[in-house]
Amino acid sequence: MTVLTFTLILICSAFLAGLLGSLTGLGGGVIVIPILTLCFHVDFHYAIGAALIASIATSSGSASAYVKEGITNIRLGMFLEIATTIGAVGGAFIALWMPTNTIAVIFGVVLMFTALMQQRRSADHTDVVGSDLARKLKLYGTYPTKEGGVKSYELTHVCGGFSIMLSAGVLSGLLGIGSGVLKVLAMDSAMKVPFKVSTTTSNFMIGVTAVASAVVYIQRGYIEPGIAFPIMVGVLTGALTGARLLKRLNVKVLRQIFACAIVLVAINMIYNGIAGKF
Amino acid sequence: MESIEQKKDMQLLIGTALRVGVMTACAIALASGIYYLICHGGEPMPDYTVFHGEPSSFTTIKGIFAGLLQFQAKNWIQVGVLVLMLTPIIRILLSLIDFARERDWLYVSITAIVFLVILSNSLAGA
Repeated sequence: MTVLTFTLILICSAFLAGLLGSLTGLGGGVIVIPILTLCFHVDFHYAIGAALIASIATSSGSASAYVKEGITNIRLGMFLEIATTIGAVGGAFIALWMPTNTIAVIFGVVLMFTALMQQRRSADHTDVVGSDLARKLKLYGTYPTKEGGVKSYELTHVCGGFSIMLSAGVLSGLLGIGSGVLKVLAMDSAMKVPFKVSTTTSNFMIGVTAVASAVVYIQRGYIEPGIAFPIMVGVLTGALTGARLLKRLNVKVLRQIFACAIVLVAINMIYNGIAGKF
Repeated sequence: MESIEQKKDMQLLIGTALRVGVMTACAIALASGIYYLICHGGEPMPDYTVFHGEPSSFTTIKGIFAGLLQFQAKNWIQVGVLVLMLTPIIRILLSLIDFARERDWLYVSITAIVFLVILSNSLAGA
């Protein structure tokens, strides 16, 4: 295969990864790793570097719109980023000595967990009474509703949310993914943040979390320009196309089909990891 | 009312900064990528199946910029990667300025901690 064919195929796959990532809400990074390792047999380290690039690009690209609409809670994001960045630094250093096959198995487990969590119903947590700590940290806010009004909310269980974020950070650093599912779990289930605010704030945080470990990865030589360029261009255009389509499509069926596909990929990852094929 | 207006301004600025950063990074990567394909497109694909680390010309700022002057396509792509990585960092700095303007010192410190974690990691990561 020449460089040209490899690049063109990779751009198309990255476009699909970005498109599916934004339609299903999984993010680009999660799909990039199996494509690179299982289809192209690229070394896992390069795949993690590429996934980080994909995570930063999709997170920053889509966060831009949500921040402008005023849905994202910037204070909440900033506060929890302390946990995710420290976790990400830890994760990046663990990744340096952890055997690749173990990382692959962990990735498979996270993937499966992600697919399962996607099927959960979202609750909107009305009338939550904020905890004292949350009030001291000024963690409350408002968001625009579909009817054109503004809804205010409060939240609780700051410490619980913070510790889940710490593990979300470790996974991001270890695997190069945004671990959006864990972030939403921390905000939605533990801190009782309204679903719309949790998803957009999680997306807002992914860029910063990924950069915290990307600075380690790039210096260790995990980010290869020949892979980074097609991934960046493909994933970003895919994610932007997905965001446009999302307004018109009903993605419920697509999400269910995709969840099954993800479970199959996860089993494949875990099997290959245990068999020591990476 | 004025503070709400100010808050809206900052949200717009942060949103725009994120978009401009990502688009610039992507444009640099695309242009250098095309240049890379023109120079090396016909060569056989490098072996990515085994990890062997990148040379220092792709992993240090000094190395990346040295290669720029020699019009090395891959170094130009790495500049796109660097701009992409800088985008969220600029977002943190904008928030820092915003919290300082609101005299919200608690959040100035929180934002500064996040910034320092990333900074110390970029210096000590090698």
